[in-house]
Amino acid sequence: MGAQKKVAAAARVRDDSEDLTRQRLQAIVLADSFTTQFRPITLERPKVLLPLVNIPMIDYTLAWLESAGIEEIFLFCCAHSSLVIDYLEKSEWYSRSNPNLLVRTIVSPKSTSVGDALRYIYEQQTETSQIQGDFVLVSGDTVSNMPLADLIQEHRDRKKKDEKAIMTMVIKKQFRLEIGSDQIFMAVDPLTKQLLHYEEGNARSGDVCLDKSLLNSSNPSVLVCNDMQDCYIDICSPEVLSLFEDNFDYQHLRRHFVNGLLVDDIMGYKIFTHEIQSSFYAARIDNLRSYDMVSKNIIQRWTYPYVPDINFSGNRPLKLGRQGIYRASDSVQSRSADIGASTAIGYGAKIGNGGKIFNSVIGNGCCIGSNVVIQGSYIWNNVTIEDGCEIRNAIVCDGVKIRAGAVLQPGVVLSFNVVVGRDFVVPAFSKVSLLQQPTTEDSDEEMEYAGSSSGTADLLSGVNNLQLESKASELGPDGTGYIWKVCDSAHDEEWKHSVVPIPMDKLADITRAMNDDDIDDESVVPPSGELKSDTDSINTDANDDYGYFEREVEETFLMAIIKDDVDHVIRLINSRRFAYNMASADCAGAVFYSMMRLAVNTPHNSARELYRNATGVITKWKGVLGFYLKQTDEQIEVIMKFEEMCEESAELGPLFAKIVHFLYDKDVVQEDAILRWGEEKAGADECDKVFLNQCEALIQWLKEASEEEEEEEDS
Amino acid sequence: MSVACGNQVGLQYLSGDISGGNARCIAMLQAFQEVVKDYSTPPEKTLNRDMAAEISSCVSFLRECRPLSVSMRNAIRFVKNRIAKLSITLSESEAKASLKSDIERFINEKIIGADMVIVKHAVTKIRDGDVLLTYGSPTAVEMVLLHAHELGKKFRVLVVDSRPKLQGQLLLRRLIKRGINCAYTHINAISYIMHQVTKVFLGASSVFSNGTVYSRVGTACVAMVATAFRVPVLVCCEAYKFHERVLLDYSICSSNELGDPNAISKVHGREDINYFDGLTNNANLKFLNLMYDATPSDYISMIITDYGMVPPTSVPVIVREYQKEHLL
Repeated sequence: MGAQKKVAAAARVRDDSEDLTRQRLQAIVLADSFTTQFRPITLERPKVLLPLVNIPMIDYTLAWLESAGIEEIFLFCCAHSSLVIDYLEKSEWYSRSNPNLLVRTIVSPKSTSVGDALRYIYEQQTETSQIQGDFVLVSGDTVSNMPLADLIQEHRDRKKKDEKAIMTMVIKKQFRLEIGSDQIFMAVDPLTKQLLHYEEGNARSGDVCLDKSLLNSSNPSVLVCNDMQDCYIDICSPEVLSLFEDNFDYQHLRRHFVNGLLVDDIMGYKIFTHEIQSSFYAARIDNLRSYDMVSKNIIQRWTYPYVPDINFSGNRPLKLGRQGIYRASDSVQSRSADIGASTAIGYGAKIGNGGKIFNSVIGNGCCIGSNVVIQGSYIWNNVTIEDGCEIRNAIVCDGVKIRAGAVLQPGVVLSFNVVVGRDFVVPAFSKVSLLQQPTTEDSDEEMEYAGSSSGTADLLSGVNNLQLESKASELGPDGTGYIWKVCDSAHDEEWKHSVVPIPMDKLADITRAMNDDDIDDESVVPPSGELKSDTDSINTDANDDYGYFEREVEETFLMAIIKDDVDHVIRLINSRRFAYNMASADCAGAVFYSMMRLAVNTPHNSARELYRNATGVITKWKGVLGFYLKQTDEQIEVIMKFEEMCEESAELGPLFAKIVHFLYDKDVVQEDAILRWGEEKAGADECDKVFLNQCEALIQWLKEASEEEEEEEDS
Repeated sequence: MSVACGNQVGLQYLSGDISGGNARCIAMLQAFQEVVKDYSTPPEKTLNRDMAAEISSCVSFLRECRPLSVSMRNAIRFVKNRIAKLSITLSESEAKASLKSDIERFINEKIIGADMVIVKHAVTKIRDGDVLLTYGSPTAVEMVLLHAHELGKKFRVLVVDSRPKLQGQLLLRRLIKRGINCAYTHINAISYIMHQVTKVFLGASSVFSNGTVYSRVGTACVAMVATAFRVPVLVCCEAYKFHERVLLDYSICSSNELGDPNAISKVHGREDINYFDGLTNNANLKFLNLMYDATPSDYISMIITDYGMVPPTSVPVIVREYQKEHLL
């Protein structure tokens, strides 16, 4: 079935591309993660060769790309490149019977980051021009079964329409609560699927700062989500490579490249997202927690057809039994051994009497003694476990010997060829290796990895010494290996990044925090995903804006009154209002300001003429004012604004009371507003009270009038 | 006022917000309590007769919304009986108070209390290492499983479900939350998974006096497969759901309920599966979405009720001996 799909996909792709100049479907696979999450294991073997349910990770990636119709794969090797190439030569990937797939390797031991790698490829490109067009960029630890042909086509179509659409990112709704990997906040245009904002948040603080320019006339709405998972599967156009070349400080694909593109707006390049359907699987293994999760998903067959009982990469398929137990046909198991659900047992494995094995993966050639308990653990190849050991939630690498009675507490990682001494208890979360922990910690995590290839040699030479002085071992009298120290700050976080199931109390904490977040999120982001216009981050520079706004309103007003239509003026001013994100009161102030300016600017000889001008303008345009002056607060705002104007203009000053009275007569300003303005001003300095004093008569009159009214009502 | 209250419950039946025999019955009884509370005897009428009429009108509305289950009919019989037996000497408020406390007692004793007794009995049948199978989302069985888990028994649960209601998913969610080891499958795979099962726990809508269990459609199939595999089938059912009627065949049973045919003609969430488009009005095509089926007593090992664990052949005894008590 897999094969059929494969052929069909390849055929379809060929038809499409033959119309254009023939473009091969190409992929760049980064066989290096450029992180230290898997240390100390990755000091001795590259991450892509680590077994995932007894099959090296790289096989999952390559098999998926092959079936998705990719014709040429460039495998970028960095650390331990010789091991990767050796593996590929031994396996069938180079000599595939499938003539449609070509696997090439690019070796650059000097690269220390994704950025370096892509720059290196770009440099090579100038000589060989290997990359002919759009390509898929994935890392070699991706497990997926999604089809790519349609996605690449979608990317190409979009590229044809819009030259600037250079990248399509694959995202997926989170499968379940994911702990250990950073939470990602994304802002996406729901219509075009363009990515507008990308933020990796470690803290679950629930605060996201979005640039308000995200919301403009071309994107009326923005979808903000924090439940998406970034699959690190990207369809890229060749421009991506040249961008890396141009910006030589880009290291990380997301942190630098994507954010750089979104924030700095380089040449208007755009990134789009593609959400895959829930029926497909895509995940990346970037730490031990995701290693655990993906392994379980493979055993539970979410990654079909890349499951242990199917030969997809030249692996020897295991036999699937009830309750998700995969067994190799030649594994030997004692009758009294109890093999529980969701377990895989590799070829040549021997399991002794009375063993209990649950939820675990046992590699090829393992030898397990009697009465051993293994739970939730990953035992790789050729491991010897003697009688009576207890192993819970641990990763045990190739060639490890665990002597009788030893106990591995949850979260332990034993690197290659470590020997655990008799009856020794390895403390929880410890990482044990034959290599000593590098003492010179580089400040930059990503740089650190680079030195490892040279450093490993030194460290390996130390192994021999270690074996000589094994008496001093930290793993019991007959054990060998160093326990790596965990820096204090990381200690609390250990549980997040290990294969140990999350403790119930922590889980409860997190879910509670998540729920709190949800509530917060709702207050920040309305359910529709549209942004509220008046969040704090946007209002910081509101004061500066007001000046511009006032001027614009004035211009608009002067322009609009030529047409002599109240509705038209309101419409135009509203558009300014939304553009500057102003409240109704601000508009009222600005409109009134414009009207008074109009009156003042109209030629006049005396104060009386000015008054007549002002009343004329107010009478004519009171509809506009009335539209914004629905509430008392807004009316007070207008009076204050007017006060300000009168302070500045000697001409208007004496007319203040008269015009306010006129506004009252015309019902533009209500009695309440004037009285409240009077009350507010009553406490001000004497110099501020000039206009209040002017209005005293009016206020007095208003008060009496209202009292009379009340009296009338009372009687 | 009282009508509004009955209406609300009815609409909840209709929308499926309240489903499950016990939940429906309790909701109905609580609606009756409201009816009683708001009732005042009109002039020229006696409370005993008029209130019975009031209840009847409420019942007829509920029946419109969804056919009444046997358990509900039994409960209605109880309420009407209590109204008829109200002493004429009682004042209106006294009568109302006594009626309300009677209904309260029925809920507490016959439904909630009965479930507790059932749990106590059923838990004794669960042993460490058991693989229990349940079908749909029976509340009594859920309580049994949760209680057994609290007692620290080590067992696995296989939740078997069926389209279109997929109620098992809710049960599964609740069991997983408590940390019970579960597996989920659809009824199509029943013969495959029955190999590993040690006991089957089922719920029931009602039990008839020949031992036939009337329950969610698919239950009979599960029970038959279990019997074929020699797996004991235990049915958890409160005694107030027993009925003296004898049921032989369920396909023509007038009390069976027909569900929405759209529910089985369409696949939820998959718009691309629309093989029946344009056929729904075809005269030669009928969709049958049955809600219940009847499991013959041959396929049932034991019925766990509030009067103890009895073989299906003993159901008539319980009906005979305790039916009168029900109405007290």
